[in-house]
Amino acid sequence: MTAFAIRPGQALPVGAPVRVRKHPPEQHCRTPFYLRGIEGEITDVMGCFRDPSLLAFHKPGLPLRVLYRVRFKQADVWPNYSGSPKDTVVADIYDHWIEPLAGEKA
Amino acid sequence: MTERKVNDIGGLPAGPVCQDEHASTLHEKRVDAILKILSGPKLKAFTSDAMRRAIESNTKEDYRNLGYYDKWIRAARELIIEQQILSREEIETRVEQLRAKYKKVAA
Amino acid sequence: MSSNHGHHHDHDHDHSHGHAHPHSPPAPDDDDGYDRYEVLLQTAIRELLDEKGIITAAELHAQIDKQDSLSPAIGGKIVAKAWVDPVFKKQLLADPFKTINQHFELDIITPLELVVLENTPTVHNVVVCTLCSCYPRMLLGIPPAWYKSIDYRSRVGVEPRKVLAEFGTNIPDSVEVRVSDSTADLRFLVLPNRPSGTEGMTEAQLADLVTRDSMIGTSVALKP
Repeated sequence: MTAFAIRPGQALPVGAPVRVRKHPPEQHCRTPFYLRGIEGEITDVMGCFRDPSLLAFHKPGLPLRVLYRVRFKQADVWPNYSGSPKDTVVADIYDHWIEPLAGEKA
Repeated sequence: MTERKVNDIGGLPAGPVCQDEHASTLHEKRVDAILKILSGPKLKAFTSDAMRRAIESNTKEDYRNLGYYDKWIRAARELIIEQQILSREEIETRVEQLRAKYKKVAA
Repeated sequence: MSSNHGHHHDHDHDHSHGHAHPHSPPAPDDDDGYDRYEVLLQTAIRELLDEKGIITAAELHAQIDKQDSLSPAIGGKIVAKAWVDPVFKKQLLADPFKTINQHFELDIITPLELVVLENTPTVHNVVVCTLCSCYPRMLLGIPPAWYKSIDYRSRVGVEPRKVLAEFGTNIPDSVEVRVSDSTADLRFLVLPNRPSGTEGMTEAQLADLVTRDSMIGTSVALKP
């Protein structure tokens, strides 16, 4: 699937602190359970994409969703993470699954 | 609707990663090819998202115990039927005809 | 009409075609015996689609041939060029799909939302799809069974260093291990570090050092 362009002001900026929402998953859900409620940082804004939870049911997948790459410290994701404190995990999250942290413009 | 779907397994306990490999079998290549063409630009019968959704509709047990390509060809079956390309009856009838034919040949 | 017997295996198991071979519950996908339901199902679907002209046998063969032409050698060439050509590397990181298309003849119809993850002295990247098995097939071919396995998908996110150690890859604590979970339509290619002692090697020689696993991130490139 192709990326569509982002309108000016539509997306959160790179570097924005965000939290993954905790709402119930769609029937086809691409936000992993292990990231729900976790705080991270936007590292890339990848463009607008059709919504996979709708495409999964032969629907057009509109309105388009902004797709972000969001990076999380592994120590924040997993209790008792046993690797290095430097370690991170990055996931590709659609806009309706993240919220900017307090103080950031939407 | 549970919070964690059957396919959403990141972080769940699991075992050592088996690194054995085998060359793709003809059956596996055919499964891949059928799905690729059906979801491709010419036929657009269904999206990759629909394929994933079909696989996610397995029970937790089936999701873990069925082989990778077994899940894919079963998903193909469900989507082919859902999109009214073939009927379940004609697919299962053909399966039984093939089974009977091979039994005769093997005997 | 080609025979649909299980006799057309093209793998190199020693496989008796007699129905007498013992079947404990078959290891998934190890047993492509003709009487397995899923093999019968694939055959039934394939035959019916051919009979109705939806997917002809010729189209299926062409697609299989196309799939067979894909392999990690493609990714290896891209990595080798990035190692020797800093301008190419910069373009590759900025706009991977466009850059690859300009420099290599690849038969990619739908644009690939590709991201190239550069390993550096301070970051080691590893890729997983915890939710299914998303993989850059256009550049690496078919993913290995382990990449698609429950064990890899469950564990590499939560204990990446332990999983990497199972692959013989030990990353010092001073280097960040960065796991990319391929949860959307983006596909990831790791650009491994160029091994030391490779000065003066040609692109072709360098490409031979780039393994599939080094482009997934469970391994590093081979030493010369």
